[in-house]
Amino acid sequence: MTGRFTKFAATVAMIAGLASPAWAKVQVEWWDFLAGGDGVRMKALIQQFNAEHPDIEIKGTTLEWGMPFYTKVRTAVAVGEGPDIMTYHLSRLPLALEEGVLSPITDADLATAGLSKEEFFPASIAAASDEAGQLMALPFDIHAIVLYYNKTALAGSKWLDTDGNLTGLESVEDMTELLTWAKEQGFSDPLSFQTAGGGGTWRTFYTLFTQQGGQLVTDGQVLEGDNLAKATRAIQILADWRAAGLIPEQAEYEASVALFSGKKSILFINGVWEVPTYKDQSTAGTLGFDWSANEVPQLLDQRSTWADSHGFAIPNDPNMSQETRDAVLTIIGWMEKHSLAWGEAGHIPAYKPTVDSAEYQGMEPNATYAVLAETAAFDPRTRIAGVASPVYDAVDNLIAPAVHGFLSPEDAALQMQEQLQSLLD
Amino acid sequence: MSLKLRRRREMRAALLLTGPFVIVFIVFFLYPTLRVVTMSFTNAALIGGGDWIGFDNYAKLLKDKLFYTSLWNNFYFVLLTVIPTTVIALLIALAVNKLRGRVQALVLTLFFLPYVLPVSVVTMIWAWMLDFQFGILQPLIETVTGRPIAVFKDPNWVMPMIAVVTVWWTNGFNVLLFIAGLRNIPPDLYEAAALDGATAWQRFARVTWPLLWPVTALVLTLQLILQLKLFDQVYLLSKGGPFNQSYVVLMQMYREAFQLNNGGYASAIAMVLFITIVIVSVLQFQLLRIGGRK
Repeated sequence: MTGRFTKFAATVAMIAGLASPAWAKVQVEWWDFLAGGDGVRMKALIQQFNAEHPDIEIKGTTLEWGMPFYTKVRTAVAVGEGPDIMTYHLSRLPLALEEGVLSPITDADLATAGLSKEEFFPASIAAASDEAGQLMALPFDIHAIVLYYNKTALAGSKWLDTDGNLTGLESVEDMTELLTWAKEQGFSDPLSFQTAGGGGTWRTFYTLFTQQGGQLVTDGQVLEGDNLAKATRAIQILADWRAAGLIPEQAEYEASVALFSGKKSILFINGVWEVPTYKDQSTAGTLGFDWSANEVPQLLDQRSTWADSHGFAIPNDPNMSQETRDAVLTIIGWMEKHSLAWGEAGHIPAYKPTVDSAEYQGMEPNATYAVLAETAAFDPRTRIAGVASPVYDAVDNLIAPAVHGFLSPEDAALQMQEQLQSLLD
Repeated sequence: MSLKLRRRREMRAALLLTGPFVIVFIVFFLYPTLRVVTMSFTNAALIGGGDWIGFDNYAKLLKDKLFYTSLWNNFYFVLLTVIPTTVIALLIALAVNKLRGRVQALVLTLFFLPYVLPVSVVTMIWAWMLDFQFGILQPLIETVTGRPIAVFKDPNWVMPMIAVVTVWWTNGFNVLLFIAGLRNIPPDLYEAAALDGATAWQRFARVTWPLLWPVTALVLTLQLILQLKLFDQVYLLSKGGPFNQSYVVLMQMYREAFQLNNGGYASAIAMVLFITIVIVSVLQFQLLRIGGRK
């Protein structure tokens, strides 16, 4: 309410010709969903911004990731009570366009922010634009899953090269061999990831699916042609690992993280955003082993890794004052230019000058896995995909049960096709 | 004072007393309900208007496989909860009724306590107790089935377990209703029955049960309506999975409205559920009344 009042007061003051920079401290309502190790970094960035800008104050709120966040955004924006700036998954952009919750970013806006499209990775600009090429959000990072590994446990084995990077993992069989070996070494759940459903299961499935060249939606058809067989195979690989006890049973997100830190898993597939968690533990000396992270190796026909982007978006609010909008754009510009700190949070900044900087190139293991950006597989551009979309429901509802043997991989893929198709028709 | 004047005064008092409720009812219940009815005939998104499309939403719904799955799950859940919770509440009420004074108050409070908790707390408690890796109840499950079970991820366990959680949560209120009913039975009836040499079972079957029937019918009807409206527990514990084994009608309505942006279709689902509840509960209440008269 105070935010609105301030906005109102500021508008009145401007109309009356009373506004002076020293007087008008613009309050910007900020919503994000960053509650993990990266959320700590984001809060530090916000604090630094507030300290450097006496005329702008960011009032940050962190909401729950996923469906709760996006439901709140949609309802709040619709009634004009939304934030002034928010983080947004670019995988969800098609849904956002349908909902009409985003305000387009014009060239004038870019100029205010002191940015240009050329300074970003083209793939992320494409993901942030609508069909006509109109920019709807500004990409902040590319984040993907990586393969974390216990360096200490793998030392001396044939799977570690002289630089300490993973090697010799070129097929599903190679991976199974490593995992079976690790199981014999006493790692109860050799490859940890969030197997109970949700983002973790989707990202791992989608990586295996796209490594076969699979496409979820082609011309409005879900899992058309041999894509169905590719999806089935991806589920089958995971189900086989589960049946052999090589991946954990029904591990929720937190449990999957704990399995790796607790030395029950030798490998761990998760997003880059857990890099700061392990970095901090290493620095504090509480982890008890050496670790690193590499691009998820190519186990099937081609290199590919699931990826998504966080972006900044301005909610569609016709009553937003130009002053607030300018403040928001100042924030976005500042954040992009300070995205090195966001790189420390594991993410690959979407702002190229940051990635090209010597500081980023010296950052490990980030610089090593940054190559995955070349073959990143973003969620398909459709309103049924993206964070908190029907695809995510299908993962909880069908893929995770199939991985745990409650449903055959064929049935899971078929039902997924049927259910998602019915939403597109 | 003329009759007419008195009538008018009474009318004024009545209006004054019911006014606040009627206004709140109209603004926050009747108007939104009517809006849902009209919305169900449009292709409206979640927010904003839409075009009139007649019965298209309903026609689509009747062909929607997921709707039938959800409806079936709703009735399965009713089967799992309504009669069990009534029987359990009656047994607890009978036992509590034997106690006296402070002990009775204490025991009653203990049974009522879960009902006071918000659903998010209830589901959190049970999700932790039943957690696959660390749940305190997993050893118990293991002794019965031989292995731990992620109950909310298992197609056979999910609905019964949600039913257990729900019964645990809501049973206290039913116990309270039964206690009130039991206290309404005049003690002389039991004394007379005892003098005539009636056994404890006869006293229950011939005195308690028939006189308690109106309360039992009320509890059964309230439970039926409540359990058909199942949403929170499913949303928080299983999200409708695995493979739709716990998907219920309100879950579908929620997803259509808030995830897929189909306000009109979601309204149609709400209307069908509303009509279903009305029909089923009226039917049940009539049946129970006939049963009571016998």
